[in-house]
Amino acid sequence: MKKVKVYALSTCLWCKKTKRYFEEKKIPFEAVDYDKQDDDCQQKIMEEIKANGGTGSFPFVKIGNSCTQGYNPGEFEKLLEKK
Amino acid sequence: MNVEQRKQALRFLFGPIVDKLGYKFTPVEEDAEFLLEQEVLLEAETGMPYCPCQARGKDRAENMKIVCPCIPFHRRHYDAMKRCWCGLFVHKDVTDPDKLVQFPESAIKEG
Amino acid sequence: MAEFIEAAALAQLRDPGLAPTFPKGLPVLLIKKNGALFALENRCPHLGCPLTLGSLDGDVLTCPCHDWRFDIRSGRFLDAPELGLKIYRTRIAEGKIFVEV
Repeated sequence: MKKVKVYALSTCLWCKKTKRYFEEKKIPFEAVDYDKQDDDCQQKIMEEIKANGGTGSFPFVKIGNSCTQGYNPGEFEKLLEKK
Repeated sequence: MNVEQRKQALRFLFGPIVDKLGYKFTPVEEDAEFLLEQEVLLEAETGMPYCPCQARGKDRAENMKIVCPCIPFHRRHYDAMKRCWCGLFVHKDVTDPDKLVQFPESAIKEG
Repeated sequence: MAEFIEAAALAQLRDPGLAPTFPKGLPVLLIKKNGALFALENRCPHLGCPLTLGSLDGDVLTCPCHDWRFDIRSGRFLDAPELGLKIYRTRIAEGKIFVEV
């Protein structure tokens, strides 16, 4: 199974919906609330997000080697099925 | 601070602005209440009602572009989604926001 | 009915300079720049901040609270043409500035 990582903000509605999507599909995922991290950790996360074509808009989701930004179940499914 | 009162105040302040921009509060009342509450709490913490779904950085000019309502600074992107990033506001013609898709700005730049 | 109301003494306003006034109780910001006089609503349409402590760069006034930028000639908000500050006509007579409200 592909590794799933959700970068989120604790204040973000769509991040909550994203986490709920993977929970309901019973797909194991790692969730990191960006705003709950210290400055150094935030900097590292943002560098990683930007290196993968993202911006400061959350959620940012890594599925295997692919990334997507925003709550988009269609895109999540596509990336989960991608060979 | 009274969170409920400030939420009402933000509704009162934001309503006429987004109306002129062609938007309205999301008709999903539960979502609007949650998002407004997050903004009130962010405002209490930072002094600014920031977008609850976008991260602040160290650059003030960039941070000011995510103070709600941030529609003017992301117009093309939000108009393409028919919704602002956090979903507090949707285009006036939207009746079912759950049918809208959230996508990054890069998706429209790429066409 | 609109009428010209005394807002400030002309000598009160530097060039360039900003002065908050309240003709008939309305918050009106007077701006003098290169000899020209402008009168704008002194309340940012964003969150209602007074613009008195805003910064003026050329014809652009920036709100001190969240940096919304306005053209002092038209009142227009630079990042969305639908939004802006109300502008008022002015008249100078006998060393006084009058604003039409």
